[in-house]
Amino acid sequence: MSIVTVQLGQCGNQIGHEVFNTLCSDICGTHGLCSKKENESYHDSCKERFFCEEESGVPVARAVLVDMEPKVISQTLSMAARSGHWKYNSQAHFCQKQGSGNNWANGYSVHGPRHKEAIMNLVQKEAEKCDRLGGFFTIMSMAGGTGSGLGAFVTQCLRDAFPTSFILNHVIWPYGTGEVIVQNYNSVLTLSHLYQSSDALLVHENDVIHKICAQLMNIKQISFRDVNQVIAHQLGSVFQPAHTAGGGSGYSRNPLGSFQDPSLYTSWLNPQDAFNAWKTPRAFNKYEKSAALVSNSQFLLKPLDSIVGKAWNMFASKAYIHQYTKFGIQEEDFLDCFTTLEQVISSYTNL
Amino acid sequence: QNGAAQKRLLPSASCPALVTQIRFVKSALWYHGYDRPELHQLPADGSAGSRELLLAFSWLLHRLSLLEQLLVRNRVKTGDEASVCTCEDNLPSSQEGTAEAAAEGGLEDRVDVRYLQCLDGRLRFQWRSLHAQHQEQCKLLHKIHLFTSGSHMDKILGHFSVTETDLVRQPENYKQLFQLLESETMQLEAFLEWKQLEPVYWQWMETVLDDMAKEGNMCKSQDAHVEKRRLPEVTSCCPWAENLTGQMDRLSRDLMALQDQLHQLIIQRKAAWWEKVSFGGFSATARKIQESVERKLRDLTCFHAPKKNAMHGSCRLCVSREAVSAFSATEVIRELQMREASLQRELEQLREECRQRLDEIAQGLEGVICISP
Repeated sequence: MSIVTVQLGQCGNQIGHEVFNTLCSDICGTHGLCSKKENESYHDSCKERFFCEEESGVPVARAVLVDMEPKVISQTLSMAARSGHWKYNSQAHFCQKQGSGNNWANGYSVHGPRHKEAIMNLVQKEAEKCDRLGGFFTIMSMAGGTGSGLGAFVTQCLRDAFPTSFILNHVIWPYGTGEVIVQNYNSVLTLSHLYQSSDALLVHENDVIHKICAQLMNIKQISFRDVNQVIAHQLGSVFQPAHTAGGGSGYSRNPLGSFQDPSLYTSWLNPQDAFNAWKTPRAFNKYEKSAALVSNSQFLLKPLDSIVGKAWNMFASKAYIHQYTKFGIQEEDFLDCFTTLEQVISSYTNL
Repeated sequence: QNGAAQKRLLPSASCPALVTQIRFVKSALWYHGYDRPELHQLPADGSAGSRELLLAFSWLLHRLSLLEQLLVRNRVKTGDEASVCTCEDNLPSSQEGTAEAAAEGGLEDRVDVRYLQCLDGRLRFQWRSLHAQHQEQCKLLHKIHLFTSGSHMDKILGHFSVTETDLVRQPENYKQLFQLLESETMQLEAFLEWKQLEPVYWQWMETVLDDMAKEGNMCKSQDAHVEKRRLPEVTSCCPWAENLTGQMDRLSRDLMALQDQLHQLIIQRKAAWWEKVSFGGFSATARKIQESVERKLRDLTCFHAPKKNAMHGSCRLCVSREAVSAFSATEVIRELQMREASLQRELEQLREECRQRLDEIAQGLEGVICISP
């Protein structure tokens, strides 16, 4: 089963690179703390999932890189190639000469349609290389310009072109005190559009990761590289295959004591349905023991409500709306987006 | 042969496995349409009924082409099998049906709709994974067929099947394949033998039926009122069985009446329209309207056109330039796309109806704005 990754914008490309790095170093590591046979089976499964075999022997990431300016993409491509352990396909990227001015509407309504064919051709090529296409994994920031607007558009195109495929969007939740003044508008627009086309949204909040770096890892000068590596680490541990002891991939349902507490779950779902545990005997990244938890919960309710509230206040006074209307995003579209998110908030509030 | 002492073919002690087996046989027969009450009223301990079973078996033999189906089932697999189904769904979707069900439901077994949505999502995910696996299988099959084309003795087909390709890779498996082929040949020979003797079997069955008819006349007085009773254990699997025939009759009557009405309406409307148009000069718009009407009519005609052998069953996938005795994948795809389009239309219609109902309800409520999804 293979997954095609679409890295969108500066954020998406930088994180994507770290993710493939983490995955590759995990696969290539020999200290799996398990039998050789187990290690090989893990190796094959993960390799097929994220990488493609090429004649040179160096695994090629199943990825398409998209950005409006060439700088980040060329950096990403060269860093990967320099590692010697893996690389990107040198053809599988799309970029333009100039940026999109950090404007969501520009990315969604202008650049998106203009470059749709070129981008989708690259995706189609990657998809065809897969024997069994498991789905798409997109990485982007929620509040930025290119990654967000173009990313929302590309996700829609993916859904149209692959109606039966699974699409997982990884979104980076902006810092609460972010630098982009219209970041709340962008967030609202991105989320509501992704909600229509995507199957699942996996969120990493910048503020939370920052805290991890500062408090848990005691990093003094936190760079984007540190943040990205933490994110990649978490993603890697979730994405690596989980086997049953008998080799081959399978899932085991293993109720762990405290997670069976019914008060953790909604009234309409019993704990056995709501909680699934996957085990693997093969250690991830040389950790003797590690665990990752992915949950669909009310955790994001407060941050979401806060963003929607702030965006609405700005919208009520029509601040900065012209930036969007001049590229075709009308006030009605904004209203639709607010409505969609209010429904999401209400669904989660009334869990 | 006077039906006196029935031979006891089954153990006299009843055990749960036997009871389940008997119930299974009865419901399977019912499912295929065998509703002879004498069989369904047989005791659950298996103490009687060998003649009824014989009748039921003969019925299956004839009705289901049982032997032919078994032969098909036991064919040696080529590995290129794919299943096709372009049949219409047989589920009734009438409004009254659902209303009845809702009334019977009651408040005890209410399920949270969110749980259903969650299950629906899971189901869809499983279906998508299955779909991806099917696509992978087709891709790999295509590779095999492409790589081996031109190598086969059969010049028309040209390429190897999966089984044949596997044999090339692992020649030591020829023994097993040979055994399977031998067994299939034996079954075919047995079938041919049966075909020659078949008339004798049916002559015998006729005598059995004659005997039963004679007995039936003697004890007609006992069962004056022969009713088609619905057996409780069975209705859970086909509650609509009884309604179906009545509904079908009603439907065909309604369709005939509707067809007549529509025909009249069309004549009237066309006459009125041509009157109007012949005065004004809207030739371009008139043409457009004409085209869209023709398109809609074409869509409608495909609804009541007799379903020409809906493709159904297992078939073998091959790369073939010439049309052998089969249908092409493009045909099937086109059929399925048409069905998809019509189901999509139906979905849109139902959604629109729901929206309208919601709006009506919302209008009755004060201070409520309804924003439909």
